[in-house]
Amino acid sequence: MNMIRQVSWFGVVLSVTVFLTGCATEKRVTRVDTGVTTDLSGRWNDTDSKQVAEKMIGEMLSRPWLNQFATREGRQPVVIVGNVQNLSHEHINTQTFITDLEREMTNSQKVTFVADKSERKEVREERADQAIHSRENTQKAPGREIGADFMMKGRITTIQDEADGTKAIFYQVDLELVSLVDNTKSWYGQHKIKKVIERKRMLF
Amino acid sequence: MKFFHHVDRTSRLFSGLFPYPLTSNLPVFPTSFVPVVFFLILSLVALEGCASHLSYYDKLSLSLDQGDAEKADQIVAASKSYYGSTSKLLYLMDRGMTLHLAGHYEKSEKFLEEANEMVDDLYTRHLHNEALSLLVNDTKRPFRGDPYEQVLINVINALNYARVEELEEALVEARRVDHRLNVLADTVEEQDYHDDPFARYLSGVLYEANGDLNNAFVAYRNAYEAYQQNQTWLEVPIPHRVKLDLLRITQRLNLTQEHAEYLQAFPEISWRPPSTNDQAEIVVISYLGQAPRLEDRFIDVPISLDALALLLYTKPLGRGQPQRAGGGDAVLYGLQGEIVRISLPRVVPQKTHVEYGQVAVVREGNQETHRTELMENVTAAAKKNLADRLPSVTMRAVARAALKLSTAEGIGYGVSAVGKDDETRNLIHGVVSTLLKVLFITTEEADKRSWRTLPDKIHVSRFSVPSGSMTLTYQSLGQHGERIGAPVEYPMTLQPGETRFLTVYTAE
Repeated sequence: MNMIRQVSWFGVVLSVTVFLTGCATEKRVTRVDTGVTTDLSGRWNDTDSKQVAEKMIGEMLSRPWLNQFATREGRQPVVIVGNVQNLSHEHINTQTFITDLEREMTNSQKVTFVADKSERKEVREERADQAIHSRENTQKAPGREIGADFMMKGRITTIQDEADGTKAIFYQVDLELVSLVDNTKSWYGQHKIKKVIERKRMLF
Repeated sequence: MKFFHHVDRTSRLFSGLFPYPLTSNLPVFPTSFVPVVFFLILSLVALEGCASHLSYYDKLSLSLDQGDAEKADQIVAASKSYYGSTSKLLYLMDRGMTLHLAGHYEKSEKFLEEANEMVDDLYTRHLHNEALSLLVNDTKRPFRGDPYEQVLINVINALNYARVEELEEALVEARRVDHRLNVLADTVEEQDYHDDPFARYLSGVLYEANGDLNNAFVAYRNAYEAYQQNQTWLEVPIPHRVKLDLLRITQRLNLTQEHAEYLQAFPEISWRPPSTNDQAEIVVISYLGQAPRLEDRFIDVPISLDALALLLYTKPLGRGQPQRAGGGDAVLYGLQGEIVRISLPRVVPQKTHVEYGQVAVVREGNQETHRTELMENVTAAAKKNLADRLPSVTMRAVARAALKLSTAEGIGYGVSAVGKDDETRNLIHGVVSTLLKVLFITTEEADKRSWRTLPDKIHVSRFSVPSGSMTLTYQSLGQHGERIGAPVEYPMTLQPGETRFLTVYTAE
């Protein structure tokens, strides 16, 4: 008799488990400040891009090459950002990172920053268009662009390790400043981020 | 008599489930609750329904058979609700594949990227789904995909990026393949599926196209070793192409010792260093046929571990040694002697009729032809993956059947308590428990979900051509050289040093 009660209890417990744990989760949207770090998936995100750009450009501008150039040439160096290669395990939008680098450099007021190849093309087209359609006194003449002294290039690499639901991702961002005069490297910077993502095997 | 027999069996069930008597600690279950339990179980059965997977996949399969990937994609897109929340990953995979076959590579990238993220998220299991699968069937668990399917998410996505000439992004997928296979090799038993030689080879091609010769060499070597080590189930002979590429890359890297070793290991290859002046490269990936489907295989199993072991030995279901699960043991012990019906999945191949593909390159009036070579047998990978997991699937199916059986008996007895005399109680018990058993049997269904929009086989043809303008024509051919499907033409202009990836699909 008692055994039969247990059968019924077991069925109830299992069924109640199914029903209670099956309740739908409510969707909630919260507006947060863009400065707040949001590590949701563990992947490379806007915070990483912004923080790495800030730290690396800050480090670059504190190194001796800047003063040496200013003393030698009597002006600020002109810098252009080239390609940042994505050699990671993630589809990282390197353009966002490049934009963060450009913003940090421009706002530092310590280097002159010039537009990259695709932007220059657009500007030149506009200048050519002005030559035809704009009033003469407002036209901008060609051949007055400032050539860059240095090109910044870089790469983002990752090393991953994973076992039993725990994943460690190690990001390494390398940036270097190459002189356009003689290809010498004036500055080399490196920034590392390590993230550990833990996933539970079972959730209620 | 039946009444006492039943009590005896349930006693044994719970003596197996719990090592100590529960009755003294549990509150007495009121008889009035019994109809509630009955209702709950019936609700589950009703929710389960008897939906057939055939009609949808028949339509999808027909479109693919006709080579109409665009229509196949429309069918998948319109059927998102059919997949439901437990098969969302499968929807993403099917959608990603049909878009890929239809040539919408950038759209396909998004679906396969989401699928890749979901595979990681599905590592966490939810008690709700696990409990429901114990009451109904394995389709109540989220579809996670077999390891070979998870690897192919990255392979197909790498080809998406390669097709739109985004090699840097294609290499992200190649690195993911490497990571996934490394984690897999650390997790599973040595004899289980843990490597995909085609995925390794494709990674090598992508690395080389991007100028990373060192990583390309490592990938080709891994591919060669994976082909060698998995010959028991791969159903793919070690491709000539892999051997040629190993010889070529070791020479380019000046790895003289390795080059000499490979020359010795591949006596069938007559090695001639290729010309590198103004050369471009073409890589044709040919998808042939459709991946296998899974179907139910109903088996009546006497409940005992010995019988189960015998079943696994005598039926070609998987490896001989059944895995013993603690809970399963206990349930089975309690129901010794009963016969239950379980359903297990089995692979039904949908073999392609294509033997190989022929690629003709016409350039300035001259024509040269190349053959494709088998690189990946998806059907063989599906069989291997199912064989690896079948022991645990079988154990779970038997445990579930035993639980359903005992629940039907228990509820039957509980409801029978409303009867006034023994005869009425026996009658109620018989009717209710029989009805429940029938309902439970109808809900028994194998988990037949698989990535069916994949091809049966993947062939590759890779060759160098002088750069410039040319027209490439692909034609699938049967066993006797007969043409299968219409030829496909690709006019193209290649730059020196460029690698151009092409994908073609033959449904038959």
